[in-house]
Amino acid sequence: PFFVNRGGLPVDEPTWERMWRHVGRIHPEGERVAQRIRGAADLPKIPIPSVPAFQPSTSIPERLEAIQRYIRELQYNHTGTQFFEIKKSRPLTGLMDLAKEMTKEALPIKCLEAVILGIYLTNNMTTLDRFPISFKTHFSGNYFRHIVLGVNFGGRYGALGISRREELMYKAPVFRTLSELIFDFEKAYHRCWHTLKKVKLGHCVSHDPHSVEQIEWKHSILDLDKLTREDFRKELERHARDMRLKIGKGTGPPSPTKDRKKDVSSPQRGQASPHRRNSRGDRRPSGEKKPADSKAMPDLNGYQIRV
Amino acid sequence: MEPSGAGRKEKPKPREPAARLEKAKQKSAQQELKQRQRAEIYALNRVMTELEQQQFDSFCKQMQTSGE
Repeated sequence: PFFVNRGGLPVDEPTWERMWRHVGRIHPEGERVAQRIRGAADLPKIPIPSVPAFQPSTSIPERLEAIQRYIRELQYNHTGTQFFEIKKSRPLTGLMDLAKEMTKEALPIKCLEAVILGIYLTNNMTTLDRFPISFKTHFSGNYFRHIVLGVNFGGRYGALGISRREELMYKAPVFRTLSELIFDFEKAYHRCWHTLKKVKLGHCVSHDPHSVEQIEWKHSILDLDKLTREDFRKELERHARDMRLKIGKGTGPPSPTKDRKKDVSSPQRGQASPHRRNSRGDRRPSGEKKPADSKAMPDLNGYQIRV
Repeated sequence: MEPSGAGRKEKPKPREPAARLEKAKQKSAQQELKQRQRAEIYALNRVMTELEQQQFDSFCKQMQTSGE
């Protein structure tokens, strides 16, 4: 289960009790965890991290490192209860108010909260483009979702975020193309036995913290089961081009492809697909069952590698 | 004819300072509760982070063993 605190802070009693009940259910020591912590007089005092402030001379890559350190200092939230409610359809201004609250309250966060925080902390970096990148992966019979904040500085791509896994969050802005960045994430997923299934790429987010625009979370939706490797790369680069065009012209036209927000099942939607020979090696023929995991996952009491 | 109430001073409301004091007390209590909750949340997060790390490490070892 996935619990969200919807009542603001301090956490209200029903939500608080639900958090502890959940911990009691999932931790091997059960309720002893709660008994040790609740009401304890000697809990360590956790300082509130300072929001990074920069000299004008600090480079963008250095700022990104500092922002990532700040996000990391809040810690990944393993409690099972998310403390800040994020409604993705809210106008940017509302999400920025929430980000400000996150910096004031300084509690552990999860990936979506880190994206909102990343946007807030980079708003004054007008030469840095930010866009959300969402991943859907498969592991041991289940699907998992994760999101990071893609960044582009001077044509180099990177990412900010937070994850249970070190390799699935911060990426320094050194990748020459968007494809290289995404492939790096794919390899990182593979190293923890996750198979990448879908990537959703948002458009660049406004730098105006008072903007009433909504974040566009899924400008491109790429289904890896339906794309060859080369087509996947091409669609990623198409998205990168769309972002450049939109930035360059203000509201430039996207690359000429119909139904951009629908899943990409073939790269030539709305046009006659060119007949391909020997290019479907990466795709499963239709009607075939999904292959079983090539390695049987050891059963660790149903442990799932979450990201 | 003068409108009623014109020229009359409004009497100060005696409840205002008390209401303000009450509000300040509530705010202070709320702040204390938030601080307390924050301390417990981080203590809990430490325990749950350790659990997750142990489970992940065990899983990785098993994967290596089954791979060999």
